[in-house]
Amino acid sequence: MNAIQTNHLTRSFGDLKAVDRLTLEVPRGTVFGFLGPNGSGKTTTIRLLLGLLDADQGTAEVLGFNTKTQADEIRTRCGALLEHHGLYERLSAAGNLDYYGRIWHMPKTDREKRIRELLEPLSLYERRDEPIGRWSRGMKQKLAVVRTLMHRPELIFLDEPTAGLDPVASAALREDLTRLAVQEGVTIFLTTHNLSEAERLCNQVAVINRGQLLAHGSPAELRAQTSTPRMYITGQGITQQVIEDIQKNTLVKKIQQQNGKLVVDLNDLSRSHELIKQLVHANVSIDEVYKEKVDLEDVFLHLVDEEGRGEG
Amino acid sequence: MIADILNVAWKELREILTFGDTRGRSKFSLVILILIFGIIFPLQNGRDWVDSPISIMIWGWMPFIWVSGVVADLFAGERERHTLEALLATRLSDQAILFGKLLAALIYGFLLTWVILFVSLITVNIVYGRGGLLFYPSEMTVAAFVFSILVSGLSASIGVLVSLRAGSVRQAQQMMSVGMLVLFLPFMLIQFIPEKWLISIGNIVANMKPLQVAIGIAITLLIVETILIVIARRLFQRSKLILD
Repeated sequence: MNAIQTNHLTRSFGDLKAVDRLTLEVPRGTVFGFLGPNGSGKTTTIRLLLGLLDADQGTAEVLGFNTKTQADEIRTRCGALLEHHGLYERLSAAGNLDYYGRIWHMPKTDREKRIRELLEPLSLYERRDEPIGRWSRGMKQKLAVVRTLMHRPELIFLDEPTAGLDPVASAALREDLTRLAVQEGVTIFLTTHNLSEAERLCNQVAVINRGQLLAHGSPAELRAQTSTPRMYITGQGITQQVIEDIQKNTLVKKIQQQNGKLVVDLNDLSRSHELIKQLVHANVSIDEVYKEKVDLEDVFLHLVDEEGRGEG
Repeated sequence: MIADILNVAWKELREILTFGDTRGRSKFSLVILILIFGIIFPLQNGRDWVDSPISIMIWGWMPFIWVSGVVADLFAGERERHTLEALLATRLSDQAILFGKLLAALIYGFLLTWVILFVSLITVNIVYGRGGLLFYPSEMTVAAFVFSILVSGLSASIGVLVSLRAGSVRQAQQMMSVGMLVLFLPFMLIQFIPEKWLISIGNIVANMKPLQVAIGIAITLLIVETILIVIARRLFQRSKLILD
């Protein structure tokens, strides 16, 4: 069973369609990245999934519960870190976690044990009694993530968890998130516009823009779907004849010379060794070969750009 | 449901009393209140502070002012500090959040009244006791008990209603101040009422039994509070609060 399943989910604010016919499946146990630029509908989607907002059209099920009719059941089984950390700054770290533990009716001994279990690996346990108003933004954000896990939920929603953090704090939080995901075995639905973050954390991603789903799959699948494998070759003896011979190879989609480099677009990057063999047979002395690494950022920009051109 | 209401109220009371406030401002204002109403006023008024029916008037209305000082923060403050959305995303029901906050304000008003009543009793006994033990008359004790709950409840329900609609704590406080002015307007307008009318009203009041008057006021307060809470319950909608 999927942790989340939406079917043509739609929500508008006046003339603006914040979420537009969103159909999505999030398998259980995955770290799912929901990518999109600012204002693309990510936060509205989370609010719809938590039953905090009603959909205009379409349906959604979270952990098998309908978001419209069983929102209480969903909120009981999920944790959420929304746009802001939402911590009570006048209370201590332990006070904040304890309150959330009480909300989920956890017994006192269990709350104390859980607070230790969650704060100790993050090196925050020693500072649990300090009012968190004195803490750095990174520490607060870590605490807010931990708070979502306090009651051992099956699914957590994290809305831009590293937004506003410096690179060091972001990296630390990412590391903690990865460890927590493994330790807790929880499904994570994470929104971000930080693509390298999604690449490092997520095993499934979806790209959304202007409320519409543009792509969905693993980062590798998305890269394969939206980009052409490309190789760059430099060497001696690359003549026009060699280029014409390579052009005839069915593996090669397109070939061009740029600043003394041979730029080859391939149909299948995994068979690139065949091309190298052909060049060696043609007496080309190869100095350097490298494959272009397409990251999620390229995929994302490609998708958004393509959508923009489609609109135009 | 009851456990949820108590949980919310417990957290609110902790925040109101700001155990974690490093600046200790809230504790300081509590001490000032207790100093003024528990020591200075009783010292000025002597034994009358315990015996006089005027005290009932004071104890009846003071919780309104005390509660109004903190109630504006309940929803407007949560919204301003961005903690409301996180709370709305929990398993708590709308009723638990609303009634928990109401209960916290009511408990605050009630407890503060009784702490001050107790401290002022000690003050009067120490300074004016002359060896004997002075105590509030039983009717006054009962009236203070009932009205400290009802008036705290009135202030809490008005405050929650205002706080739900206000965009910020400051706006909520301004609206509460205007509300208080409206509430105290009849007392201010007394001087403009013709003397003849005042005498007639005085005669009517003099002919009424104090118990009847007290019950009448209590019932009126209860009805007003119920109406305000019903309105607040209707206004408290997750989807609206999220988008505010």
